[in-house]
Amino acid sequence: MTGLRRALTTIGATALALGLITVPVALGSNHTNLRGLYLAEQLVIGWSFVGTGLFMWWRRPENRLGLLMTAVGFTWLLGILLATNDRYLFFLGELVAGLPYAFLVQMLVSFPDGHLHTRLERLVVAAAWFDVTIMQWAPLPFLQFPRSPHCESCPANPLLAANHMQIADALEKAQAVIAVTVLLGLIVALVRRWRGFPTVRRRSLAPVLWTGALALFVLIASLAAKLSGTESPSVDTIYLLGLLPLAAVPYSFLAGLMQSRFSRAGAVSELVARLSAAPERRRSLRDALADAFGDPSLMLGYWLPDREQYVDADGHRVELPRDAGRAWTPVQRNGAPLAVIVHDAALADECQLLTAAGAAAGLALENERLQAELRARVEELERSRQRLIEAGVAERRKLERNLHDGAQQRLVALSLNMRLARDRIADDPDGARELIVEAMGELESATAELRELARGIHPAVLSDRGLPAAVKALAARMPVPVSLVEMPPARLSPLVEIASYYVVAEALTNVAKYARATAAEVRITQSNGSVTVEVSDDGVGGADPEHGSGLRGLADRVGSLDGSLEVDSPARHGTTVRATIPCA
Amino acid sequence: MVTVLIVDDHPSFRTSARRVLEDAGYQVIGEAHDGQSALAAARVLRPAVILLDVQLPDLDGFEVALQLTADEDAPAVVLTSSREGNEFGGLVAASRARGFLPKDEVSGPALAALLR
Repeated sequence: MTGLRRALTTIGATALALGLITVPVALGSNHTNLRGLYLAEQLVIGWSFVGTGLFMWWRRPENRLGLLMTAVGFTWLLGILLATNDRYLFFLGELVAGLPYAFLVQMLVSFPDGHLHTRLERLVVAAAWFDVTIMQWAPLPFLQFPRSPHCESCPANPLLAANHMQIADALEKAQAVIAVTVLLGLIVALVRRWRGFPTVRRRSLAPVLWTGALALFVLIASLAAKLSGTESPSVDTIYLLGLLPLAAVPYSFLAGLMQSRFSRAGAVSELVARLSAAPERRRSLRDALADAFGDPSLMLGYWLPDREQYVDADGHRVELPRDAGRAWTPVQRNGAPLAVIVHDAALADECQLLTAAGAAAGLALENERLQAELRARVEELERSRQRLIEAGVAERRKLERNLHDGAQQRLVALSLNMRLARDRIADDPDGARELIVEAMGELESATAELRELARGIHPAVLSDRGLPAAVKALAARMPVPVSLVEMPPARLSPLVEIASYYVVAEALTNVAKYARATAAEVRITQSNGSVTVEVSDDGVGGADPEHGSGLRGLADRVGSLDGSLEVDSPARHGTTVRATIPCA
Repeated sequence: MVTVLIVDDHPSFRTSARRVLEDAGYQVIGEAHDGQSALAAARVLRPAVILLDVQLPDLDGFEVALQLTADEDAPAVVLTSSREGNEFGGLVAASRARGFLPKDEVSGPALAALLR
């Protein structure tokens, strides 16, 4: 038996004994109407609260509700002392008679988590405690027979200071007014609490609210009777009958607890049924989960291992919430992250339910995750295709610009000079020769520029003589020494060759422009159906592939062949650009 | 002698055009390499003719042409380019310029024909 269980058993036994001790006390009472009914009802209510309270305490020790419910029961049982003929015990009963109501108010207002959240809730509970202590005790020094000013047969008051009925009456009326106010405040607080809950929690809250509301209605009615000054045996009967709903309160709390379990199981089994429905009738998994939990704001994120981020069903990135109103529950499958459920923070203590739902939906989630991954990939492809097209357009614009500013201008000047030479040749042969010499210089420059441009469009040496020769030509034009460590022994497919060539060309251009390196290395290896192109330098590092269109364009170019590009560039430790391209 | 200002951002064209026009009896009194310096030079030098490239590094050549021809005693502007005139749509016609000469066809007689 655990320590908690032993303690709870002791409390239960004490409550049982306390109840049994009061039996002769109540039955021998000379000032109680309907003694048998009164005793039975007090015991049923007291023991019910203690019993269910201890059960809840045992099942959810971290939740204060079990403790509060047990306290209601205990103080209720102590209230039976009001039946005693002994003046001191009777007085003790008078002191504790209000306490169960305060415990009850606190219990109702803090269902189901046992905590007070709003200022109104705290105010209601504080007012209740004030009413059952200070306001309950204040009239006592002024009453000869404290139970009731008219109870001639009640035991006499040991604390009587002065028998002053008017003061006592006024204080008791004030207490009743505060009590009615507290009950009205309680109703407002409960309605607000209920509204703030998602549908799934409302279902489990309903029985508690119904019985609680009924019991409160009876209490308000009896207090109203007290305020109007009605006092008769028939009022006693109505009061005793009216207390019956109170006896139902602990059971409805228990039912609420069970209900939330049933609805928990219900939500999961409903979800499973939905998931196994025919695909054309099946709604999206997110909608099914949102329905099951009554949280329309629920979102699902699917884990993409290669991007290390969550995306929604359309492949758009899902950020994990940081604000207080939202929470998230990760879903795993075979120990690996699968998805995340982003939901209302009110669902956070339904954590087990969420995890269970996640487990039930595991296969469907995996399915949708694959689809989301595919969509994310398609989206990335669309973006990279767009970038490739834009890069192509930009490339052509640059080419036009280069042609226009370079070779074309030279040819224009050449044309004008040749025409001048033709016109001068008869009168001024020396001047004409000079113009022709100048024109030949322009022609040579134009030819060189055209050659350079043509190589930029496509390196002829690559298609004619292969990758090693083309890379060697690139290396020879670099300002830093470049060693070619390894080259593929045979020709590769033209697309792979050209992509590899541009990886080397772009990486070496970056080395020359930014790296401040003293040497660079190129290594092109072929294994397991793919080519790895690696260019490394001993420069300053710190290259960022996210910035700069060069590396981005390379990644797109390599990506268009299903390859991948990595840039490893720690600050001050050189840069390595590595492209892996399938070539099977 | 008819005074000329040559506006183009390529020095090789300015040199060749100057030679061609001077051989044909024009007096080239200045060269400018962009739109801003062209507007400044035109105010100071007050040439009779401006040979203006439509693709300048700073301003749009057609815009420069409009500004140069705004006054009543404005110089005659002749547009030029290494492209064909019809590549510019109706811009040449709308520019208040006397006409358009492809760069490789710049010559004394061709210019005189437009200025007539």
